[in-house]
Formats: sequence, structure tokens, C-alpha cells
Amino acid sequence: MPPSIHPVDLIIALRDKHLTPAIVFLTSRRACDEAMQAFDHSHILLPPPRQAAIAAVLEKVIAQYPSIAEHPLIPTVQRIGVAAHHAGHLPSWKIAVEELMRHGCLDAVFATTTLAAGVDFPARTVIITQSSIRKSRDFMDLTIGEVQQIAGRAGRRGKDLVGFAIVTPSPYIDLNVLTKGFTGHPEAINSQFVISYPMVLNLLKAHPLDQIQPILAKSFAQFQLNQRAEVLQRKLDDLGDQMEPFGPRVCTDWITEWQTFDQVRRQKSHRAPIRRHEPPEVAARFHFLTPGRVVGFARGRGVVLRQYRSKGQKSPMITALREGGGITESPASTVTEVSDRILDCVDAPVYPWCTPESVEELLHHLEELPGRLPELPILIPKDNEPIPDAIVQTLGDFACPTCPSRSACQTDYPLASKLRQEQHRHVKSIQALRTSLWHRFQEKIDVLQQFGYLTPTAHLTEDGEWARLIRIDHSLLITELLRADAFNGADPAALAAVMSSIAHDDDRPGAFPRVSSGLASLLGQVRKLAVSLSPHEDPPLLRADIAAVTERWIGDPTLTWIGLCKSTTMAEGDIYRLLARTLEFLSQLHTLKATHPGLADTASRAIAALRRGVLEELP
Amino acid sequence: MTTEELEQLLAQQPIALLHRLARGRVQRHFRAGKRRLIEVLLRHSAENRAGFESDLMTLIGEKPVHPAPPPPQVPTARKPKSTAPQRRSTHRPVEPESHEPGVTLSSWLEGLGVPPPKTFVPDAWQEDAIAKLREGDVVVSVPTGSGKTYVAIEAARRAISENRTVIYTSPLKALSNTKYTEFSKIFGADQVGILTGDRRDNGQAPLLIMTTEILRNLLYDAGGGEIDIRLDTLGLVILDESQYIADPERGVVWEETIIFCPSQARMLLLSASIGNPHDIAEWITSIRPTPCHLVRHSTRTVPLRAGYLHPNGKLTPLFRTVGIPHGHPSHLHPEAKRLFAQYEDETLPSGRRR
Ligand SMILES: Nc1ncnc2c1ncn2[C@@H]1O[C@H](COP(=O)(O)OP(=O)(O)O)[C@@H](O)[C@H]1O
Ligand SMILES: [Mg+2]
Repeated sequence: MPPSIHPVDLIIALRDKHLTPAIVFLTSRRACDEAMQAFDHSHILLPPPRQAAIAAVLEKVIAQYPSIAEHPLIPTVQRIGVAAHHAGHLPSWKIAVEELMRHGCLDAVFATTTLAAGVDFPARTVIITQSSIRKSRDFMDLTIGEVQQIAGRAGRRGKDLVGFAIVTPSPYIDLNVLTKGFTGHPEAINSQFVISYPMVLNLLKAHPLDQIQPILAKSFAQFQLNQRAEVLQRKLDDLGDQMEPFGPRVCTDWITEWQTFDQVRRQKSHRAPIRRHEPPEVAARFHFLTPGRVVGFARGRGVVLRQYRSKGQKSPMITALREGGGITESPASTVTEVSDRILDCVDAPVYPWCTPESVEELLHHLEELPGRLPELPILIPKDNEPIPDAIVQTLGDFACPTCPSRSACQTDYPLASKLRQEQHRHVKSIQALRTSLWHRFQEKIDVLQQFGYLTPTAHLTEDGEWARLIRIDHSLLITELLRADAFNGADPAALAAVMSSIAHDDDRPGAFPRVSSGLASLLGQVRKLAVSLSPHEDPPLLRADIAAVTERWIGDPTLTWIGLCKSTTMAEGDIYRLLARTLEFLSQLHTLKATHPGLADTASRAIAALRRGVLEELP
Repeated sequence: MTTEELEQLLAQQPIALLHRLARGRVQRHFRAGKRRLIEVLLRHSAENRAGFESDLMTLIGEKPVHPAPPPPQVPTARKPKSTAPQRRSTHRPVEPESHEPGVTLSSWLEGLGVPPPKTFVPDAWQEDAIAKLREGDVVVSVPTGSGKTYVAIEAARRAISENRTVIYTSPLKALSNTKYTEFSKIFGADQVGILTGDRRDNGQAPLLIMTTEILRNLLYDAGGGEIDIRLDTLGLVILDESQYIADPERGVVWEETIIFCPSQARMLLLSASIGNPHDIAEWITSIRPTPCHLVRHSTRTVPLRAGYLHPNGKLTPLFRTVGIPHGHPSHLHPEAKRLFAQYEDETLPSGRRR
């Protein structure tokens, strides 16, 4: 038996049970294209009136979007009533398929899951063949929300009494993920707030520095951080209650008093010096090795999952999730670096000490972290060091030996001091939650000051005034390029080509036209700058082959769309998206006409040259 | 463990786990199917068998859904055959099974068809959302296909009739284009405009469609009085598909838009079902002048049924019940269970079929 059902058999089965129209979600574009090819010699033709209905709808769409008139899928669409719809297609083709679906002309559409989030077309039935999707280079299980979004396409209001979501297995499937998705509650969503350079510039343009913190406090990010802080606050209040019996006694701060006295007493009595299993810096660090903390080891990084002191091991221990996914247990002293970064981590009472989703997420974040992280400043506390002799000599000054509450202090000290430490920890965490956005904002301010976009008083400099208008990815690279006059004398094709190599973030390989030598050397310059900026901004891929596609399209106004598509193995939908993104980047450069008239003019000529043929069909 | 046992253990794992195992070991592993992936992994495991096995066990240990995997130190004497029943139990759900028979295919398919045409009557939640918008901002969180567009249209209609302008945003250009066509038909072409980065069609119309990024930029520029779109008459901002606020790359744009949305304009957030819509509503209430109401429900208007289609063309209900057994992922239909187990057996790697 084949690993998954044959597309023709699938359509036959669906028609037989009156389960059409259906959306068939497949794992890749290629799978969609192959499914369409499977109908080439098939005889499951539509009756002539339905074929005519399809032709009529297509004719209307073609009148509006001539680019699809010769689309290779049209014969199959007309004969069989099935179509493919994925990101490799032109928007105009996708509109045609959506229009056909809306008119009820098709029996099935083969699509990738991007469709579930992308467009608005429902069907009676959805067919699900996978339980994971590719997200940034890796396959991830579908979330409950995603499964329901996909299944949500089944059952059209007003056209269906019921909708059907049908699972058909392929080697990609884990049935548990899907049954959980069908029957579960969608996950809570979380803020993904990031502070970007343009955000900082635009906020500081409109508001003085001292008003920024209240603005950041309005974010959903802060709302959620506050929720976490409130949980901690409740724990803190709880601790406060538990501390009730340990309030002021004969001396107000009896805990510290007893601690010092106790230590001095032991030192004085010449018994063995206090047994310390760890050097003070390890002890000091240990407080900060809490779940979620990013730490460095001699080899590689990790995230702390839990800390513990085991009976067998004399030293304090941590369990850490290491880069690459391993989970290790090691003495806290093996940590070589404690970073000022805590990742979210939902802890669990058993191995691996946090939820599996957390592990997944932590691993992902861990790999995304920048090369250098700020180190956490840790004070090595004095009280772990031997008490200076002077104090030891003055043992007689302590009131403890004759104090009426001496025995109470002695009994209560271990618990009270533990509770108090916990209180301190929570206070610190709460403070971190309340101020972390502001700290991240300040880090960006520092960089912008360093580069001269902001004055030392955090006002916009002349450069800052125009730089804030560049609100796209890699804004720092782009504004630095402008300041370096990198595009001085560049023609529209070269400017657009560089912009597209900055915009394009897909590393899918393929065959492409060659770049001109002028563009190649310009790209070399851009790459150098991007690398030098990498501590402050992740460099883009800067693919020369991608730049070449744009260079050709703009450089040669006689080049047709089909001609352009033939020059590369890139799918036409991808070329379209590349050029559309480039257009977006160019139009941002165009907004700089007041300060960079030459550049803005080049950008607008590039836009005019770029917007032709297929690229003019849609707004 | 023997290679054969290792292979079987791999075969029992979900594909996602295999991909994680392949990370850093196998190039382009995300292109491979399960069978191929297992073959490549096995080949690779020869390089460092111990490390490979320990990684595998770690990954398996992390999975909560499945019952404990077979212990790592399988005695070598164990015959491969004896693992067969074990594998059966590994992929089975944990809940205690009741022996209720499943529904029949015909009752599962019953009721399929086209409803009789009805005059359009808005749902209670739709009316509710539109009414609440008079008092303040509104967050709608309902399943896909419920009819959020109707709320957007009626709210826009009312704002326009009160001489207010309306901005409608969607996360994708493709969706903006669809809505541009749809809304132009409803309101008339002169009433609807669309804005993109470099183009502006009918930018003075009372109903403007754009992506959320474009609106965010407008709001930033409005601070400096640098735009030719009048925001002082803005009466309503509709953010469709606002569950995008959780998008790792673009989510921040939704937050910026909501934070900087002019206070005189009402906000209408339309979202698919999410787990914590009350958080969103509570957040918006905390930062905007009027309270934000939450309108939510989780029942689908058109009921959903789940099925299982075997590669040989045999169709069966996926669950024992006609509808979706909410909260009971393990209530699988016996036939679906049997067929899927058979599928997994037959797709074991390297032709080791039984
Ligand atoms: N009250 C209603 N009665 C009948 N059909 C409705 C009603 N409200 C909306 N619809 C229809 O439901 C379908 C889905 O609506 P849509 O707004 O696209 O859903 P959503 O945006 O929530 O996913 C549309 O065809 C719409 O005409
Ligand atoms: Mg919608």
C-alpha cells in the first residue's frame, strides 16, 4: 500500500460520499503540484455544464488579470474541477481559485497550510495529511489553535449543514497531535513585543525620554509581565504572612543579629571552621541560577531548568538544557558565565523539570540568542567570608548569650532566614519583571547614541530625524548604508537589487541569473557593513543570486514576466513576493525625499520600472 | 539495544521527535518523510551509537502524552518479535478505554447537505458586538467561519453614516485585496479606498483598507502631523485576524497600533478562537479611555465532524461519537484505531512489514 492515498482515489472517495468541495492540505508546494499532475491521464471528468461554469468564471478573472490566461493548470482545473493554491503561485492565480471556490465550481483544492491563515475560502470538507508544519527551518507540531484554524475551513455557513475534517495518514502524521487539536481548547496567546530601532526613534520623536516608560507600560507585553509579577506578589504576601511570627524581637533585625552571632561564636570556639563546600562566588551565583536563566559553560550555552543540592554531591547542582537539546546535571561551579537574560520556562515537578513545550521553546530561543549577552553583575556577599578578628574579639558585645529570646532565635533561625531569602528573591524578580522592557529600550537607546542617531539627552539628531522613517527589517543596516553614501551614483536597478537582497530571508537554493560586476562589488560593500553591525542587528542573507533577479527585471524594461521566470528556478509566486517586498523597501526610501532627494528619485524610478506587467495587476 | 530494536523504537516516535533528533545530524532532514528519516538516522547513528541512543531517550522522556517508552537497556536476549505488542501500546492514548462501540459511518454522514435558504438573521453575538461598540471598544473571539465580517460591515456602516471615517486592517495584502473588492460591492466603489506602501487608491474615501503595518506607520507619522489622511474624523478602527498579535515577527505591530490608536476612535478586534481573549480585553480596557467588551463563544455555527480516510479509500468516523468529543482526545473510533495501527505497521522502515 502506498504511504498515502492517491489524489485520484481521494477525489473519487469524496465525490462518492458527497463530501465535496474539499480543501486538501498537503505538506509542501511540490506535493500540491504532484497531486495536480496525477490527474493528467485521469478520466474522472466533470459533466460538461460544470466544465462550462468553470470556463465562465475563469474568463471573468482573466479579463481582470491577463497574467493567468496561459496558466498551465487551467486544463486540469476545467476537466476535473480540482486546483492547486499555494505560495508558489501568483496572487492573481490564487484569486482565480478563490473565485472558483466561491462559486462552488471546484471539487477540491490542494493547498499548503499557509492557506489556513491566509485567505478566506471555506469548503464542506477539509482533508488533513500532516500534524506538523515547517516553522523557521524546523518542523513543529501543529498547535491546538492551528488545528482548529485548519478544521475551521470545513462547513460553510448557509451552504452546509455540517462540516467534515478528515484525517488521511501520510508519513508525516502523529494522530495524537490532531485528536488533541480537535478536542482541546486553543492555547493562550502571548505578547511578542520586540523593541526595534525605528520604534525607539519614533517614540522619542513624539515624546520626551521621561514619558517613555509609561508608554511601554501600555503594551500587552507589560500587561502579561505584570500578571506574572502579581503571581509572585501573592507568593510574597504569603511569605510575609509566614514571617509574621518572626517579626522584631528584642532586637529589630534579630535574624541578621543571630546569624552574625552564631558565626562568630563558632569561629571563636576554635571548632572546625564553618564547612563551606563552595567558594563564595559559587554560593553567590547559585541564587541566580534559577529556572530560565541563560548561562555559559566551558563549552556552549544552556538554560537552567532547576537547581538543587543533592546529598551525595557536596556542591550545589543545576540541571540545564544545553544547546543542541541535551539535558545535563552538573555542579553549579561548572557555570562559567551567568547572563542577564531569563527565558520563559513553565516548570514541572518532574524531569525535565519544565513542560515539554517549554523545552521546545527554550531550545528555540537559545538558538536564536545573539552571540554576546550582557553578564549579570553579581555581588559576592561579605557574610560568607570569615568574620574579621576585630568582631570576633568583641563577642562579648553581643546581647544574645543572655537575651531572653535566645532559645527562640536559635530555634527559628533556620526557617526564618530561609523565608527571608525567598522574600528577597521574589522582590528581585518582581522588580525585573516591572522594568525589563524599559531596560531593553535603554539598550537600544545606547546603540542609537553610539551611532549618532540620538543625542546624549536622547533627542533625535539630524540623522535620527530621517532614519526614523525607515521602518522595515534591517533598518540599522539601511540607514548606515545611506550615511555611508553607499548608493551614490547607483542606478535604479542596483538600488532595487540591493534592497531585495536585504529583504529576502529565504535560504531555499536554486538557479539564478548572474549579477553584474558593479552590483557584485556593491553587495560586497553592503556585506562588510552588515557584518560590522552584527553585534547590534542580525545581518540579512544578502544573496547575490536574488539580487540578480531584481536587477534583471528593472535593468531590462523589455524583459517579460515569462522571460524573468525562465531565468531562475524560483517559483513565480516567490519572484512576485520578492519584488513586492522590494517595492515596499523602495517606497520607504522614497519617503526620504526631503533629506535625500537624489536617492528618493532613484527609488521612485526603480518603483516605476518595477511596477509593470504582473506587478501592476494588484494594488 | 540492537539495531532492529532501535529501528522499531524510532518508528514508534512521532515525526516531530525524529526531526528534533535529526537536528544537527542530518542535513535537510525537514525534507524527508518518516520512513526516509528513520533510514538516514539509523545510518547516522553508527557514528556515535551511545550518544544517539541517549539523545533519543532524552527526547522520549520529554514527551508527556505518551506512556513510558520501553526501558533503554533492553536485554540483548530479547527477540525483536516480543516488542510488537509493546509498540501497540505505545501509540495508544492513555485514558482508560470504555468499550462503547463507535457510531456507524452512515449515522456519521447523516445530515450532510445544503440547508434550506433562510432570510439573513444576525446571530445574538453579532448583535451584541455591534451594540457594545456603542459603549466602548470590542474584542470578538469566535471560531473561524462564524461571521465576523458581518460585524465589521455593520459597525463600519454605522460609523460612516455618522460621518466618521473607518480603517479596516488585515495582516496580509491578499486579504486586503479580497476585502477591498467585497466592501466596494457593499458600500459602493467611491466609499472604499486601499493603501499600500507605494500606492493609494481612493485615499480620501470614508472606509480605508490597509495592512496593519501601514496603519502603524500612519499613527507614527500622525504624531508629527506629516500625513494627509485625516485622523481627527477617525471613528472606528477594525483589526481583523487580530490573533496575529501573537506572531513572533509581526505581533509587535498590533501592539503598537492598539497603543497609539487615537482615543476618540473605537477599536474592534476580530479574532479567531484563542485561549485568553479576556486578557486582551482586560489589557485594552486598562490603556484606553472606554472599557473594552469581550464577545466570545466557542461553538461552531456549522457543526464539525472528524473522520479518518485510509489510504485504501476506506472512510470511517475518527471518534466514537458523531460530533467532536471535546476534552476526550482518546475517544477514538475502534475502526479508525485499527486502521491507523495497521497503517503504522505497514509503513515501518526498510520494508520490515508484518
Ligand atoms: N447571521 C448569519 N446567518 C447566516 N450566515 C451568516 C451569518 N453571519 C455570517 N454569515 C455567513 O457566514 C460566512 C462566514 O463569515 P465570515 O465573516 O467570513 O467568517 P469569519 O470572518 O468569522 O471567519 C459568510 O458566508 C457569511 O455570509
Ligand atoms: Mg474573517
